[in-house]
Amino acid sequence: MDNLIIAQSPSSPAIAADWHAGVISMRGDSYPENSFELFQPLIDWVEAYLAKAGRPLHLELELVYLNTSSIRSMMDIFDQMEVAHKKGQTVSARWTYEAANERVGQLAEEFCEDCTFPFSIDVKS
Amino acid sequence: MDLELASRIEGLLSDPAAACADMRSALADLYECCRTQQQMLDRLTQISDKYQLAERERGLSYAEQLQRKVRQVEKIVRISDGYQSMLQDLNARLTAISTHDELTGLPNRRYMQERLTQAIAQSARTDEAFSIALVDIDFFKRINDSAGHAIGDVVLKRVAACMRDSMRDYDLCARWGGEEFLILFACCDKQNAAQLAERVRLGVAAIATADLHPGLQLTASIGFTEFLPGEKTIDAALKRADDALYQAKDAGRNCVVGSP
Repeated sequence: MDNLIIAQSPSSPAIAADWHAGVISMRGDSYPENSFELFQPLIDWVEAYLAKAGRPLHLELELVYLNTSSIRSMMDIFDQMEVAHKKGQTVSARWTYEAANERVGQLAEEFCEDCTFPFSIDVKS
Repeated sequence: MDLELASRIEGLLSDPAAACADMRSALADLYECCRTQQQMLDRLTQISDKYQLAERERGLSYAEQLQRKVRQVEKIVRISDGYQSMLQDLNARLTAISTHDELTGLPNRRYMQERLTQAIAQSARTDEAFSIALVDIDFFKRINDSAGHAIGDVVLKRVAACMRDSMRDYDLCARWGGEEFLILFACCDKQNAAQLAERVRLGVAAIATADLHPGLQLTASIGFTEFLPGEKTIDAALKRADDALYQAKDAGRNCVVGSP
């Protein structure tokens, strides 16, 4: 399976999924016109990785603003990771945010609420 | 029960002298038939029970799935509301930044210009007079040079606070330039403006500065004018107020001069 690289745009985050490292990074704002188009390749990638790679998966997030459909897609990805975690696979996530934007941290907490895999929320240093 | 067995039994029952052996054989066949039927009935009941159970479980799992979906939608709505309120806060902050001066918290030049345009339109509609005053802190450069820019900033803040306090609720004061402030006196002719401007001058002269720098004297010069009926823009009035301010400076500062 290939790496997945989606360039940042004013309304969508930079997305990079590295198959060998087992790391996905997402940075920026997300309010694309068609969030299905943006997120489906990533959701498919996560599904393939969790099914085939046999290695841990780490999600590195620096997302700032998310519109409603992006929130939904992120929850789908967390659900995929949660299922893998319950099957015994190693998955983790880290959400970092600027200290000046405390609200982003609070919202990350809301995302993390139902996840039982390691999920840390940190102020960007 | 098959027909053959039924007619045999009926024959035996109608014959009072029927042989015991025949009766036994018929009873055995009847018993066998009954057992087979019972087994079939048991199986049917079991199958029926299994179906019932499966249906019940299916119903439960639908309810569970539905509940999960509802929880998920609730969570999406909650998070989305959070992001929306974050954007609203950001918007309010940006609006404040674009309309207010960061140091003094007073409205900035851009905001004042909008309010002046509104005041001109209102004045044209209602024939009500309004006045403007330019306030300039005396020897501000000297304060900056001798006491330092940090003290200069504190002076600006104190003057701004003083002007806010000494104005009426419906007047507006903006930071117009470095140490220059513009006041819009709403519904106010030249005579009233003279009194209001004098109140501002006295207020500035009374600001405590002993804690800032030894010997620091704080005063302001003020030039004011009334907006004249028929004027289309604020430019001419600003020029009159500016000229009056220069006259106040020339007259020895710490005074108020009205444009003739």
